[in-house]
Amino acid sequence: MGFPLLSLILFTPAAGAAVLMFLRSDDAVRWTALVVAVLDLALSIVLLAGFDTTTHEMQFTETVPWVPALGITYALGVDGISALFVFLTALLGSVSVLASWVAIERKVKAFMVSLLSMQALMLGVFSALDLFLFYVCWEAMLIPMYLIIGVWGGDGRVYAAFKFFLYTLAGSLLFLIGVIALYFHGGETFDILALTAQDLPFRVQSWLFFAFLIAFAVKVPMVPVHTWLPDAHVQAPTAGSIILAGVLLKMGAYGFLRFSLPMLPEASVYFSPLMLALSALAIVYGGLLALAQDDLKKLVAYSSISHMGFVTMGIFALNIRGLEGGILQMFNHGVTTGALFLFVGLIYERTHTRSIADYGGLMKVAPVYTVFLALFTLSSMALPGTNSFVGELLVLSGGFAANLAVGAAAVLGATLGAAYLLGMYRRVALGPASVGARFKIRDVNAREMVAILPLAVFVLWVGLYPKPFLEIIDASVKNLLVEVHGEGSGQ
Amino acid sequence: MTDAALFQSIIASLPEIVVVTGACILLILGQFVRKGQEHFLVAASVAVVLIAAFATLLLASEVRPAYSGMFIADRFAVFFKLVFYLATILTFLLSRKYADIEGIGSSEYYVLLLFALFGMMIMASATDLLSIYVGLELMVLCTYVLTGFLRRERRSNEAALKYVILGAVSTGIFLYGVSLIYGLTGTTQLDAMAQAVTGDPLDPGLLLAVVFIVAGLVFKVGAVPFHMWLPDVYEGAPTTITAFMSVGPKAAGFAVILRVFLNPLVAASDVWIIVAVIAVVTMALGSFVALVQDNFKRLLAYSSIAHAGFAIFGVVAGGQNGIASVMLYLLIYAFMNLGIFGAVIMMRNGDFSGEVINDYAGFAKSHPGLALLMLIYLFSLAGIPPTAGFFAKFYVLVALVERGFVLLAVIAVLLSAVAAYFYIRVVMVIYMREPERAFDPALTPMVRATLAFTALGTIGIGLFPAWFLGLAQQSAAGG
Repeated sequence: MGFPLLSLILFTPAAGAAVLMFLRSDDAVRWTALVVAVLDLALSIVLLAGFDTTTHEMQFTETVPWVPALGITYALGVDGISALFVFLTALLGSVSVLASWVAIERKVKAFMVSLLSMQALMLGVFSALDLFLFYVCWEAMLIPMYLIIGVWGGDGRVYAAFKFFLYTLAGSLLFLIGVIALYFHGGETFDILALTAQDLPFRVQSWLFFAFLIAFAVKVPMVPVHTWLPDAHVQAPTAGSIILAGVLLKMGAYGFLRFSLPMLPEASVYFSPLMLALSALAIVYGGLLALAQDDLKKLVAYSSISHMGFVTMGIFALNIRGLEGGILQMFNHGVTTGALFLFVGLIYERTHTRSIADYGGLMKVAPVYTVFLALFTLSSMALPGTNSFVGELLVLSGGFAANLAVGAAAVLGATLGAAYLLGMYRRVALGPASVGARFKIRDVNAREMVAILPLAVFVLWVGLYPKPFLEIIDASVKNLLVEVHGEGSGQ
Repeated sequence: MTDAALFQSIIASLPEIVVVTGACILLILGQFVRKGQEHFLVAASVAVVLIAAFATLLLASEVRPAYSGMFIADRFAVFFKLVFYLATILTFLLSRKYADIEGIGSSEYYVLLLFALFGMMIMASATDLLSIYVGLELMVLCTYVLTGFLRRERRSNEAALKYVILGAVSTGIFLYGVSLIYGLTGTTQLDAMAQAVTGDPLDPGLLLAVVFIVAGLVFKVGAVPFHMWLPDVYEGAPTTITAFMSVGPKAAGFAVILRVFLNPLVAASDVWIIVAVIAVVTMALGSFVALVQDNFKRLLAYSSIAHAGFAIFGVVAGGQNGIASVMLYLLIYAFMNLGIFGAVIMMRNGDFSGEVINDYAGFAKSHPGLALLMLIYLFSLAGIPPTAGFFAKFYVLVALVERGFVLLAVIAVLLSAVAAYFYIRVVMVIYMREPERAFDPALTPMVRATLAFTALGTIGIGLFPAWFLGLAQQSAAGG
């Protein structure tokens, strides 16, 4: 065990949150939070730089006994899949701090404390190698998120916060029972790697698969347990939406990748048609819902359901293109949808309306804003040259290989995506400049630019040269396929 | 009993003797305490408990049976006594200012609490149905009086009367069960009882006796269907007493329940089915009824019913882990529940009662630190990690699944999701409403110390449960 880099990444935001509590002025709070978030981002870049892409083994591992009597350890480590999300979390953490700079006017300190504790816990979820630790981080996140939505959200925030809290809690509690059952079936250990190596009877696998499915499906969210998402997204402050869409939704998919597939391989294969069908349903249904929205934030929220459908579809295609596409798409969706929520937040700060009907001709008053909006909109609809194109193409080819009908549904969903996204862009940015007359709109300023640019860089980088990103996940995905299908199938 | 045996017995029961002697001395000295010098009473009472705690720890090294099999000082008893000391000392600290505000700060108040502590200690150590009965009665008689201590308040009187009548009935049921046991086995000692029965453990007479005893005992922990007294008593009693009752006497009830259930006679009968049903119904009732409460004390009363239900799940699981899980649960519950009651007690100042949940609207705005503490207690009560409340529930679930009661575990978690709703509703009121008035919490150094200590326990046990878990496991094994 060398230098505990992962712990450092985890505890930097936690320590930052603790320091914030003793600061008095709002500006000091903002700057400290930003410094902490950027420092964390820098550390996560160090992590990626030191990451060995040739192996699927866990790297940067740390193990400290925690509750030895129950076999609980504080164990951290990353493989290709989690490393990517540690980085994404740190990136969006910094963006969120910038996005809340002026949007949060009241109780700035409490907000930043919640935001940084969120970040620490999310990083914990992605780097935990102990199921108990994973569960603690996964569940503890409800507290800051509940506050972020409920205290700093919009008019319906209390309802949205309750809905978010109870949905997620109910889902996770069954997961907890699954975890405990797995603990006894897997030889009284919470060590994720040891549990992965277990070969459980099919009947046990099936039960556990559904216990896990409920928790992960709520988080992703998959239809029909998605109804908390529009409320939470719409009511949450911008930073909350970015974190929700960018990272929280990924945790559900990450759960499938880390637990369902490797620990319950036979059940995963057996139930994959069901999962593919649910994914296809989410893609089409989410797209149709997005098509009917007038609220900008709701539109992006429903589009998330559709896009996460692509992710779960790629995962449960259970072939290499599907999986790599799904994972890449998780990253892409974090970047792109995070950016779209940021953009909705930016314009909302200026006009205090999110109704698409109130907008039009934004191009003339805020050209820089609309250019970047175009980039992220096109990225969201997977135009070639943007990040989502690479991911969606891989998912589609994996999906078609798995099931023709599901692949066809996904293509339909992609078409719907083009329809609602382009429609949104046309009505907001183009046309006669009705907006300038009613609202005073200024274009993006330097601070906002700092938040936008890194996201834009990743949109184009992944879109034009995805190789480094695919290399990070490649070895782990191949190993995952071996775990699911047995030896010799990692083609 | 020979002199040597008597001496050994006195040594084994030294903590009890310290407490009862201290209480008697305070009763006399209390007459000389002038108005405005009540802090002497608090200090003296705390000192008595601390000396008893010291004696307990000193004697904890070995198992000491005493008084011809009526009494035992073992690790199991030590663990519970520590919980009682904790609850009692924190209650003393919370009481000082509150008693002034309510005008109940006479020496009897503190003496009665010490006698109640004495009763609970006997309950934890009792190994004979009769000594259990003596401890039980001593404890509840004190709490009857303490419940009615707000003499000029109607609901306090009503609560005390209700408590006495229902409590007497349940004691009667318990005694009836004891007499049946004596008739069937010729003994009331827990160990001897099991040996005396060689026949079918499902003998209807025996089963009836066990059911009566269980019924008498679950009354004390406020489990359904003997929970009727609890909300009224919790609401009517002085808040400090409510805090005390929700932790101390409840833990004492569980100590006896566990002792009785450790008994092979009871373990062999199928009485656990009844207990499982009680656990489910108790938790369901507590959780669902709490959803519609507007009064904070009533809400906490129903929450305490729900928590009793969850702890009974640990009793159902049984075995080493099951017993340890109940013990750990009670210890953690003592921290978080005294914490949240501390917050309620602190709000009582001047004309402000702080009993209605809406009284807390916007509290976070003016008192972010105290609001954060309340948030910690409430999320801990709801069982959200990384607080101790989560680990308490987690360990009970582990014990349940270990025994194969997966369905019960699922029911338990689903009901705790229901229960989470009313805790986070309070958090919502504190954090997401606008304040309607200025707050002036009665923050004395003692109250501050209590809140800090309970918060430390609630977070500390949640983050570093290993030592406390080991303690509970060892104590369960030593029982």
